[in-house]
Amino acid sequence: MSKYKLLVILLMGVFLVDSCSENDLELSNPNQLSPDTFFSNESQVQSAINAAYANLQPFGLYGRLMFYMMDNMSHENAGNSQQEGDKVTFADFSFDSSNNQIFDYWDSCYRGINKANFIIGNADKINEISDSELSPARKQKFIGEARFLRAYYYWLLVNRFGGVPIRSGTAEDVPEGSPRSTKAEVINLIVEDLTFASANLLRKSEEDKGRATKGAAQAFLGKVLLYEKEYGAALDAFQAMSGYDLETDYYDNFKEETEHGIESVFEVEYDIALGTGAKWDSPVSGSGPNHATFRGQDYGVLNWFNVYPSDDLVAEFEPGDNRFQGSFYVPGDTYNNGQNTFVADDFAENGGNVRSVAWKKYQNYYKQTDEASESGINVKIIRYSDVLLMMAECENEVGTQADAIGLINRVRTRAGLANLPLNLSKAQVFDAIVHERKVELNGEQVRFDDMIRWGIVASELADTNFQAGKHELWPIPDREISSNANLTSADQNPGY
Amino acid sequence: MTKLKIAIIAVVMIFSQSMLSQQTVRGTVTDDSGMPLPVASVVVQGTANGVSTDFDGNYSIDNLSATDVLVFSYVGTRTQTIQVGNQTTINVVLETSSEQLEEVVIVGYGKQSRVAVTGAISTVGSEEISALPVTNAESALQGRSAGLTIANSGVPGSTPSVLIRGLGSLNNNSPLFVVDGVIVGNLSGISPNDIENVSVLKDASTTAVYGAQGSNGVILVTTKKGKGGKGQLNFNTYTGYQSVTKRYDVLNTVEYLKYAADLGVFPDRPLELYQNNTDWQDEVFRQGIIQDYNLSFSKGDENGSQYFSAEYLKQEGTLVKTGFERYSFRANSSAKFGKLTVGESMSVAFSKQNPELSSGGRTVLEHAVKAAPYLPVYNPNNLGGFQGPSSSVDGQDAENPVRVQTLGDAVNKNVGIIGNIYAELEILDGLNFKSQVGLDYYTYDNKRFVPSFSDDSVTGSITHAQDYASISRSKGYGQTIIFNNSLRYNRTIADHHNIELLALVEKYEGKSSNVGMGSRNAVTDEVDQLSNEDSSLGSSSYETNKLGYLGRVNYNYDNKYIASASIRRDASSRFGANSRWANFYSGSLGWNIAKENFMKNTAFSTLKLRSSYGTTGSDGIGDYLYAPTLTGGFEYPINGEVAFGVTANGGANEDLQWESKEIMNVGLDVGLFQEKVTASLEYYKNTSKDLLIYIPPPASNGINSGSLPVNLGSSETKGFELSLGYRDSEGDFTWSANLNLGTTENKVLNLAGVDGVVGSTFKGGGNITRTVVGESFFHFYGLVSDGIYQNQAEVDAVFTANPSQTTVQPGDIRFKDLNNDGDITSEDRDIIGNPFPDLTYGFNFDANYKNFDFNLFVTGVSGNEIFNTNTYDLVGGANRLFNISQDYNNNRWSLSNPSGTEPRALGAPQNNGVSDRFVEDGSYARLKNVTLGYTLSSNFLEEYISKFRIYISGQNLVTITDYSGLDPELGGNEFGIDRGLYPQPKSFLLGLQVTF
Repeated sequence: MSKYKLLVILLMGVFLVDSCSENDLELSNPNQLSPDTFFSNESQVQSAINAAYANLQPFGLYGRLMFYMMDNMSHENAGNSQQEGDKVTFADFSFDSSNNQIFDYWDSCYRGINKANFIIGNADKINEISDSELSPARKQKFIGEARFLRAYYYWLLVNRFGGVPIRSGTAEDVPEGSPRSTKAEVINLIVEDLTFASANLLRKSEEDKGRATKGAAQAFLGKVLLYEKEYGAALDAFQAMSGYDLETDYYDNFKEETEHGIESVFEVEYDIALGTGAKWDSPVSGSGPNHATFRGQDYGVLNWFNVYPSDDLVAEFEPGDNRFQGSFYVPGDTYNNGQNTFVADDFAENGGNVRSVAWKKYQNYYKQTDEASESGINVKIIRYSDVLLMMAECENEVGTQADAIGLINRVRTRAGLANLPLNLSKAQVFDAIVHERKVELNGEQVRFDDMIRWGIVASELADTNFQAGKHELWPIPDREISSNANLTSADQNPGY
Repeated sequence: MTKLKIAIIAVVMIFSQSMLSQQTVRGTVTDDSGMPLPVASVVVQGTANGVSTDFDGNYSIDNLSATDVLVFSYVGTRTQTIQVGNQTTINVVLETSSEQLEEVVIVGYGKQSRVAVTGAISTVGSEEISALPVTNAESALQGRSAGLTIANSGVPGSTPSVLIRGLGSLNNNSPLFVVDGVIVGNLSGISPNDIENVSVLKDASTTAVYGAQGSNGVILVTTKKGKGGKGQLNFNTYTGYQSVTKRYDVLNTVEYLKYAADLGVFPDRPLELYQNNTDWQDEVFRQGIIQDYNLSFSKGDENGSQYFSAEYLKQEGTLVKTGFERYSFRANSSAKFGKLTVGESMSVAFSKQNPELSSGGRTVLEHAVKAAPYLPVYNPNNLGGFQGPSSSVDGQDAENPVRVQTLGDAVNKNVGIIGNIYAELEILDGLNFKSQVGLDYYTYDNKRFVPSFSDDSVTGSITHAQDYASISRSKGYGQTIIFNNSLRYNRTIADHHNIELLALVEKYEGKSSNVGMGSRNAVTDEVDQLSNEDSSLGSSSYETNKLGYLGRVNYNYDNKYIASASIRRDASSRFGANSRWANFYSGSLGWNIAKENFMKNTAFSTLKLRSSYGTTGSDGIGDYLYAPTLTGGFEYPINGEVAFGVTANGGANEDLQWESKEIMNVGLDVGLFQEKVTASLEYYKNTSKDLLIYIPPPASNGINSGSLPVNLGSSETKGFELSLGYRDSEGDFTWSANLNLGTTENKVLNLAGVDGVVGSTFKGGGNITRTVVGESFFHFYGLVSDGIYQNQAEVDAVFTANPSQTTVQPGDIRFKDLNNDGDITSEDRDIIGNPFPDLTYGFNFDANYKNFDFNLFVTGVSGNEIFNTNTYDLVGGANRLFNISQDYNNNRWSLSNPSGTEPRALGAPQNNGVSDRFVEDGSYARLKNVTLGYTLSSNFLEEYISKFRIYISGQNLVTITDYSGLDPELGGNEFGIDRGLYPQPKSFLLGLQVTF
């Protein structure tokens, strides 16, 4: 029996050892960083900023949804008969609060805001980094980039939804969700952020290509104030900008090789060579290589092709306006570095509709035969010609008509058009600006907001399903209302 | 010394007896079906004189006198006693025992006599498991146990979904699988032929011993142990073919072009292409061969046992280039050294799957439904050899499904090892110590290679093309080691009080690690290996540790009055220090009324009332969720180079804690006329609390993880289960029938203040499912239709508050304005379906006549709805030109067909949003199996073969359902949503079973 006793003792020993292993229950995630020690050096701050930019890219925003949503609503686009249903809903204003694209837009913006808040909310930690390691000016520059991006994401939200929940990156942000703030509160936050950014960001000449600059912050601040009809303040912001001018060739704004030119104020970066593997993965997260847009495919006449320029837009062009050639292809134009020529058949709408104009702006046909689901051309969010026209609007309100006309004429001269006479009335200048912006900024997601702030949207879209008092805003997505304890369907925008 | 004395005396007595009579008796022991019973015991009553039958059931026993009484016994049969008299040959037929007393049921960490069971346990025997030629052991359980719902998928090598007593949790509802005491992820590595029996544990008294892991019920699998005296060799094989016969009835080329013209769309192909008429569904479905070979050897006696088996299975899928192949091996053995028993069981399975593929987020079946019929499958002029669409008028996003599924290679390889080794020592009489180490280990290696291709060369532009070869590979391993030690004490006090005590400690260590890799090759399609060209890499690893202590007491008085109780204390690394430990307990009572004196001489052979109550838990959510982390992987081009980003991941919840479930069960077992009629009725009510789920936090919080793990509210699941059995015989004809059915109903009691949880996005927009307080989990929620608007006046009558809208026109669906606000909005949604069946059932019929045997097996569900997303495509829901169903085309409303019952083509988007238009009755009854077998009489064959049976069988031959999709049995991840799932095949098989 003694050997059994030994065995029992051995096994009982195992029993005891076994039960002493509670330390094994304390595990940490080997796949991810711990936040405790973050924001302790420049590269960590830099990487947090980089992440906040990444949300501009995925197809919830500039990768795909932004351009067709906005250009369809403004009816600068007309739809191919085979236009995908989700895109049709924006042309015919049939979207409702269950619309997945609207949710993706909303979600993308807020994920960007949260990433910016990660930096802004940790400003104390960043400021604790020794000044010898990271200069105070550079600390403020980083925080300025975050505040620029946060302001931009809120700007996208406030234009489409009105007052939205504000997440500030502070302890006031409760996990069960924030209530809707008023539009004025959101605008205030945007103006504060952009004012800070204007003061602390680097000039375009000093900054890496792709990052927000002082000029970009000033232009945006001006734009926000213009929308608020604070013309004087807006003009001050615009006039503070320096180092910008118009490209000689309008079309250089829309090609890959001429990105970051003198006219460029802020662009969203794409570059196929850096990878596109994540382009389908998530419309909102910004994770992984997302360095392509779908614009080439969606707007490309020879390929997938959802939309083409609307007759109304094409008709707006004056004869001799060289922006026509910078925006559209017609039969007889060459493409693929001049090796191919468009024929009428390439434009024929199925079912017999005769069509003769296709999108050229932001297309890759200038250098290749086919558009795929990957285009590497950056999206210009603000160009200097936009700034000039906004300045003209301000001058027309608080300055002189002559100064306004001078600014318009700078844009017209580049377009190869005759100058406007300097003796136009205020109303005539306004009309000239409306026309000029429609042409100059066609297909650039500007017109729908312009029409709303000018109060002309109902008349301009009279032939569509646009309903005044409803479609100026999108509905708050159902998924937000159902998951946010501080929102109910009573908070929904009018008409939804 | 006294023992030795007795032994000597006994030997002397045997000697003296033999000298007196010297009578020898020979004979054969068979069961009631005529099968010889090996190792049946033949003992002279009141003596130690006894023998076992040999492999053919023969015995020979010497030294008998005429007054001796022989006792014949065999597990699972009724013992017989026969006086020797002057007989020299005594052949005995041992009737299969019907008395529960002799049935032993495997329970958690032990076994119990059926008569002493107080919980809700269903058992499934090896006969039932091997009756169906299933590739996955879980599939064999379908319809066999009341309260067990199994849904298979047609994908060869896929694991079916398994639910015990319906849904109790929002996140993880999978039961715990335990193979020979080892907790495993699933049963995919276990050959169904190696299974001796399965116990399905459903209530707290049986599952609480698994504490933190038992809340969804437990499926206990016991593999075969060696038996059969000198050894027995079995060879089983079957082969047959499988096919999918149902199709969606879509338009042919002529009809398609006419429909296109109606839409005002003119495909711009050369005219000769319209001579084609491709039936894409016929192109992707095929007849698949299935074959299985299984060889096993079994040997066992009182000193030990051995069981070895090897199996080869090969299944060609019914979808082109899908399939599954598996080699599996098993070695189970045990040996006894005095008071010490050591043993092991070990299985290894090597499998290879050619999976179902998809492209553009669409299944092969969706592509096959939508693709233009005038496109040919193949075109040798195109790179890769296939033809696909090229433009938006050509059915653009419907890719060539044959190319998607067959071009290149897709292989998923797996190796799985499941095993345990144990030692058990009898320390004192009735006191045993057992130590066991279990292992569940797997590796996987999934490879995908797609050479360059271009699906069109007819037009100038290309939509579906890839100008490089793509290679991707993911590899990983997972391992679980479970170590447990237990002390067990068994004692009968004063002849009546039976007590069993168990104390156990168990440690669980789980690890897994994954690597994903991808690259391209623009130079050649010849090399399918990874390189540095456009490469991407990623890896991750996870660890879960658990610790548990268990104590259990089982007591009964003469098996008449029964009580048991258990307590388990568990910890899991998935929770933070504050909520890491939890206690789970159970108690149960039983009363065997049939054993009372007043029940003697009644028809009742069994009458038992039992009840149990207890708690179980679940840590069924991801690892490391309690600690906040940062996450990387964000990219943005700065100065033309990638700048990498890091941000807060969000989604951590340091208060995350155990989900717990209170389970109440009441059962009644009835057996009549010596168990000729049996019935078992259960009622259960499970209340889950602190439901673990990932909820989408408000999107406006913007957290990166997009989901937050929380303990959210509570729910209740209740239902009845009924099992009925009847067996009878008349001469050579014996038959039995069993029916089991289960009802289940779940309801959310509380969601901790959250309005609702929505899920399952629909391609027509919005979410399909919703979970709110007071209703069932994951019900379908959408608009309710009310016919078709016939004219503008009818439209205007509904849109009274929105008269300027022009989106909805005559020919669109009239949705009910449920909130009466004069407009149709998302506020008009209502519950439009429940994915969970009211009733799940199985019916089994067995009959034997002489050498013939027959089995018929039906399973089904009723009272559930299916959300059929295929309908979206079949009715042209995308409002673009793709192929559609005949039914929709014939019935769609148009000016020329104003009485159409389907909405107009290119109608309002609301027509194709989430609504009852896509909801169908999902009830079905399916003839799961029908088998006819013939066993050749043993005297017909050589003496070396003891059994030779051939059979033919068919599976899934008949399905009665109103469901319009290909298969109402949905084996996917989502409850009740059919997104073009791979249907299950019909099979015809020929099989052979030989025992040597």
